[in-house]
Amino acid sequence: MTDAVLTRLAGLFGELLPADAVITDPVRLRTYDCDGLTYHRATPGIVVLPDTAEQIAAVVRLCDEYGVPFVARGSGTGLSGGALPRTDGVLIVTSRMRRILEIDLQNRRAVVEPGVTNLAITEAVRDQGYYYAPDPSSQQICSIGGNVAENSGGAHCLKYGFTVNHILGLEIVTPDGEIVELSADDPGYDLLGAFIGSEGTLGIATKITVRLSRAPEAVTTLLAAFTGIEAGGQAVSAIIAAGIVPAAIEMMDALAIEAAEAAVNCAYPQGAGAVLIVELDGPHAEVGHQFAEVERICRESGAFEIRVAASAEERAAIWKGRKSAFAAVGRISPAYIVQDGVVPRTALPEVLAGIDRLQEEYGIRVANVFHAGDGNLHPLVLFDDAVPGQGERAEAVSGRILDLCIEHGGSITGEHGVGVDKSRYMPKMFTEEDLDTMQLVRCAFDPRGLSNPGKVFPTPRLCGEVPGVRKGVHPLVESGRAEQF
Amino acid sequence: MDPELIKDCVHCGFCLPTCPTYLLWGEEMDSPRGRIHLMAQHVEGTPVTDEMAGHFDACLGCMACVTACPSGVRYDRLIEETRAVVEREHVRAPEDRAIRGLVFALFPYRRRLRAMRLPMRLATRMRPFLDRVHPSLGAMAELVPPPARPVRLPPRVHALGRRRATVGMLTGCVQSQFFPRVNAATARVLAMEGCDVMIPPRQGCCGALSLHSGRDARRFAKRTIAMFERAGVDTVVVNVAGCGSSMKEYAEVLRDEPEWAERAEALRVRDLAEYLVELGPVARRHPLPVSVAYHDACHLAHAQGVRSQPRELLRGIPGLELREISESAICCGSAGTYNLFQPGPARELGDRKAGHVMATGAEVLVSANPGCSMQIAAAVRRSGKGEMRVAHTAEVLDASLRGLGARALGRA
Amino acid sequence: MNDDAGAEEVLTAALTDTGVAIRPAGPDDSVAGVRPRWVALPEATEEIAALMRVTSAHDLAVVTTGAGTKLHWGHPPERCDVLIDTCCLNEILEHEAGDLVVRVQAGVPLDALARALAAKGQELAIDVPLEGGTVGGLLATGIAGPRRFRYGTARDLIIGITVVLADGTIAKAGGKVVKNVAGYDLGKLFTGSYGTLGVIADATFRLHPLPTARAWVTATFDRPVTETQGTREDEKGVAFDTASVDVADEIRVIVPAVAESQAEPSAIEVDWPDVNGPCVIAVLVEGAAAAERARAVQDMMGEKAQVADEPPEWWGRLPGLPGLPGPADRAGDEGVLLEFRNVASRLPGTFVGPFSTAATTGTRPAVRGSLASGVLHVALPPGTEPAAAAAFVGALRAECEDAGRVVVLTAPEEVARRVDRWGHVGGLTLMRRVKDRFDPERRMSPGRFVGGI
Ligand SMILES: Cc1cc2nc3c(=O)[nH]c(=O)nc-3n(C[C@H](O)[C@H](O)[C@H](O)COP(=O)(O)OP(=O)(O)OC[C@H]3O[C@@H](n4cnc5c(N)ncnc54)[C@H](O)[C@@H]3O)c2cc1C
Ligand code: SF4
Ligand code: SF4
Repeated sequence: MTDAVLTRLAGLFGELLPADAVITDPVRLRTYDCDGLTYHRATPGIVVLPDTAEQIAAVVRLCDEYGVPFVARGSGTGLSGGALPRTDGVLIVTSRMRRILEIDLQNRRAVVEPGVTNLAITEAVRDQGYYYAPDPSSQQICSIGGNVAENSGGAHCLKYGFTVNHILGLEIVTPDGEIVELSADDPGYDLLGAFIGSEGTLGIATKITVRLSRAPEAVTTLLAAFTGIEAGGQAVSAIIAAGIVPAAIEMMDALAIEAAEAAVNCAYPQGAGAVLIVELDGPHAEVGHQFAEVERICRESGAFEIRVAASAEERAAIWKGRKSAFAAVGRISPAYIVQDGVVPRTALPEVLAGIDRLQEEYGIRVANVFHAGDGNLHPLVLFDDAVPGQGERAEAVSGRILDLCIEHGGSITGEHGVGVDKSRYMPKMFTEEDLDTMQLVRCAFDPRGLSNPGKVFPTPRLCGEVPGVRKGVHPLVESGRAEQF
Repeated sequence: MDPELIKDCVHCGFCLPTCPTYLLWGEEMDSPRGRIHLMAQHVEGTPVTDEMAGHFDACLGCMACVTACPSGVRYDRLIEETRAVVEREHVRAPEDRAIRGLVFALFPYRRRLRAMRLPMRLATRMRPFLDRVHPSLGAMAELVPPPARPVRLPPRVHALGRRRATVGMLTGCVQSQFFPRVNAATARVLAMEGCDVMIPPRQGCCGALSLHSGRDARRFAKRTIAMFERAGVDTVVVNVAGCGSSMKEYAEVLRDEPEWAERAEALRVRDLAEYLVELGPVARRHPLPVSVAYHDACHLAHAQGVRSQPRELLRGIPGLELREISESAICCGSAGTYNLFQPGPARELGDRKAGHVMATGAEVLVSANPGCSMQIAAAVRRSGKGEMRVAHTAEVLDASLRGLGARALGRA
Repeated sequence: MNDDAGAEEVLTAALTDTGVAIRPAGPDDSVAGVRPRWVALPEATEEIAALMRVTSAHDLAVVTTGAGTKLHWGHPPERCDVLIDTCCLNEILEHEAGDLVVRVQAGVPLDALARALAAKGQELAIDVPLEGGTVGGLLATGIAGPRRFRYGTARDLIIGITVVLADGTIAKAGGKVVKNVAGYDLGKLFTGSYGTLGVIADATFRLHPLPTARAWVTATFDRPVTETQGTREDEKGVAFDTASVDVADEIRVIVPAVAESQAEPSAIEVDWPDVNGPCVIAVLVEGAAAAERARAVQDMMGEKAQVADEPPEWWGRLPGLPGLPGPADRAGDEGVLLEFRNVASRLPGTFVGPFSTAATTGTRPAVRGSLASGVLHVALPPGTEPAAAAAFVGALRAECEDAGRVVVLTAPEEVARRVDRWGHVGGLTLMRRVKDRFDPERRMSPGRFVGGI
């Protein structure tokens, strides 16, 4: 894309949006050059800060007209580079669209704009005894639009499901600039389900109807300390086998505990090789019953200390160490990579042993924090960027961990998405046919490939104009930069 | 701008929702994460542009981002260093320069401030005119409380009953001129709790205003340290949040002069509430049947981490009902000199805060910073909902310890 | 004639060459009145692919069926050459109990699956309101029953899928882990697609432990709706009579109270066989301490409420006359079955809509379904005048306006011709584009779905 086109577009945007909503100053533009994954950076060509769906639609229509790619961005906390801008494109940021439009407790739903933060929804209904269930650790800042795009999960998704299970309707702007309503109640294809988790490649969500959940009557949180991670894993299996679905089961290993101690003094039991956090919620009677069961299982699996939170403060204290874990490893290591992979719960012991072997093989430390209930690992691969070669080795370990996940029938991402970061792993998890079939959806929504191109899928692909009818060879295909699809 | 400090930022964005300017404008460049990014750009060689300087100037220095940051980024130090760089390297528009010059020539000097009191009163009436000349002048006029009768404090106030400690007390430039009764109340409360209070006369500015605006504060710091050393105390109690936070930073400000840094370390600086909770209550609390909304001054809550102590003290007063203000972590827009240099956003934030304060329905607004009280009271006045009674934590305690009753609170 | 017969032979040979069992279709094989030419019985995903390649080469239209319990749902196909019967794809491929996950082939009967899972103390938490169905049929129609309130529907529980596209491409998406955001979620896209995008070969589901106990609380309400006569004045001050219909106060209070209560019911169902008569409301609580929680619900529902550890006999079944629906090709002589959703006004809409509409159109609908999630089934008895049935559908849509959706699941020809089967569909243009990409030659259940897809 030539600069002239961008300049022309910026001028046209200026006619549609307030002056301060179109950013072209290079210094300002650069502050948008990355999301939560900082080693991929690109300064956007133009940034717009729209206020309404109509403005987004108008901007997208112009992009379509000029063949300029666009990328949506919420709060920029994504961890897979999903919101990485295009230097030749437009970054559409929803941070000014943060109104809660409607709260309907009777029908347990709320309608919000995409820039509203996940936590803001819960805060708006908490006093009435409701909440929005999916709770990514970044909930105080990540936008609901970003959550929709990433199908975000959180610690409590074990029992309550992910974003996709809590979205009742969407208003989207399609990549050709149409405003379309998708509702879980309408007959027809589940485009809602297809859109959620599509990482901004199928259009931009401009209005979101979420399901609100009733706050549980009772919540019990327990912290169990084990000498090693195996015993903790055994407890997890036994809890599930006993037919209990806790709201959350989280595990941290010794290194992760060390980091959390350094950052927030969480005061977990001394000498713990692993801690397990189990949270049960629901009706009093049920929670009481299950709690006794969980406590017994933990003891039988070798827990040497069990703490039970008696108040909201104590619960917060237990969670504090876990919730700060990502950022906290910054205190024990100059640099680190947050990995996100999933394995079947029963394969956890093997995979953890595999990670141990990798640590030895590469001389790299890995701190493990994970959503043990659903086998979602967040290994934190630690390295010192001042030591030559360590970064590469850490990168290698991080990749090998994903290989382990795939080998054991798991996934390369449980919640952070594919983005730019993991698109190269997609062919390891899926066949070419699988990916081509996914591309069919992409081509239906975005035949010109302008909506967040270069994300999720490994090779840029072009959609044939009309199925079955192929025209001359596209220049990108000719030059080997893309494959015709 | 220390690149090592910049590197601590992992770009997670956790600080965004507590940043008042991000709340107002929803732009990356006016968020802590964005400002740190701008600092990084500068470190990599981008000169300070008008745009860049504008985003740094718009920062309130409220330090809410420091509290929110899980990876321990020292934004407080970063922004101080940055402001110094901006002052050094950036050429401001002439009228901005004039206003900044005026404020820095005025506020840190109590005699000049005193001299200003009369013209200020006049200024209040001239507000519409001033607003037109420069919004900052208008803001200055709007904020000014009715002039108070000066209260002369003795250099030493003796403990009531058994003496438990000897402490120094900072009187503060703005505080002593516009809110002298707060200082009197502070001295009395300390004395009633068993402290000998040393109040060195002719105290100058502690350096807070300069420090928070990127000007050299070392001269002010050294003067203050020497002054309390002469008074023979090792603990200084401060009742102004902004002054307390900058005094706690003396050692860092003076880090290039090790001898001074050491002297700074030796001086224990405590906020009044923090100190009283450490000391433990002995004086009898009389009932004070009143509902109060407690406002977290940024320089207390974020810069000093003092949140629970004032609440604990207030809850300890029989009959007093403490109400929480929603969005309590968000700055009221006062932020030291901010409301003078950035009147627009300061006003918006003030209105927002005033709305939340009024929503509590409390009778009296309590905070530990005169700037905040002035700012919020002005916003309430603007909303046309009458006058908000404001009081300092010290005054509330004083009223209870002396059994004055609630009506005395927060009346001019 | 000869040519035709010759062509038929060539095609039969091509189909048979795939190695898949093929037989000529009989009258019992019709799909909503359209008779296919062949029935194919593949035993593996590869075999489906082989079949699809042949149908692609010869432009043959394909419809897929499981047990045929819902085959008459939706429009009759525009054409149908090959009926793929998934009966021989009936293997449970993987059930790792410790992972609470099962991977099954599309032809596995739901009751067989339930038995296998129950042996390990687990279940797929979807109550299908029809007996005898298969996994594939459940997915293709996206049907669900009472416990959708707690667990959602098939789209919420499916975590992986293998499909065969019109051109024989075998594709999978998702996987066998519950948490997975790699790639597009084709499982959801295929769920409820009525066979128009391709053939579902197998699917992987998230399971739940079987609840330790279950209890149902039921109560009968004699007058679910109340009619109030009144007078009002118009702008000119002229008085006129008004009649307003509303849900009975009792129900208006009780249902939300139970739904929001901390007893955490898994389902709240209503059975209202005649809208001029009484209704029964039944509440299910499951899990630890079910009995205790059931008593709490009983207290909320009033003296008449009773607790039982067996469901009422109508629980989780479609409304209407006994025997409905019947074997595959009975669309012609069956009644009308509607799905009725109350998007934004669950309670009043559920009762007032059918009641008022029945009165104005002279019909006798039976209503049954989930009060808590606002998804009901409404049946009009066989023999309902086609014009009246069509009027009922239109009037019910008008009555609930934007807040509701009415979809005609089954209807006799006569009725079907007169109604818009699907009603409002948001995003139809996008859906057409999806169809165009997956099945550009329109060979997969053509015309059966929304907007004639
Ligand atoms: C410390 C930390 C902890 C985290 N913890 C979790 C966790 O527990 N669970 C979890 O799931 N994630 C977690 N994340 C990742 C991240 O917060 C989520 O992916 C979140 O949903 C991203 O939201 P965002 O608003 O920041 O989106 P962005 O990062 O701005 O964008 C993410 C993607 O969404 C697209 N997008 C944004 N808005 C829209 C829109 N309106 N329409 C269409 N596409 C859009 C973008 O193009 C991009 O592809 C964490 C991140 C951090 C930094
Ligand atoms: S100090 Fe306050 S205004 Fe400045 S960046 Fe931090 S939170 Fe924002
Ligand atoms: S919270 Fe801290 S680490 Fe995260 S973006 Fe803000 S300053 Fe950086």
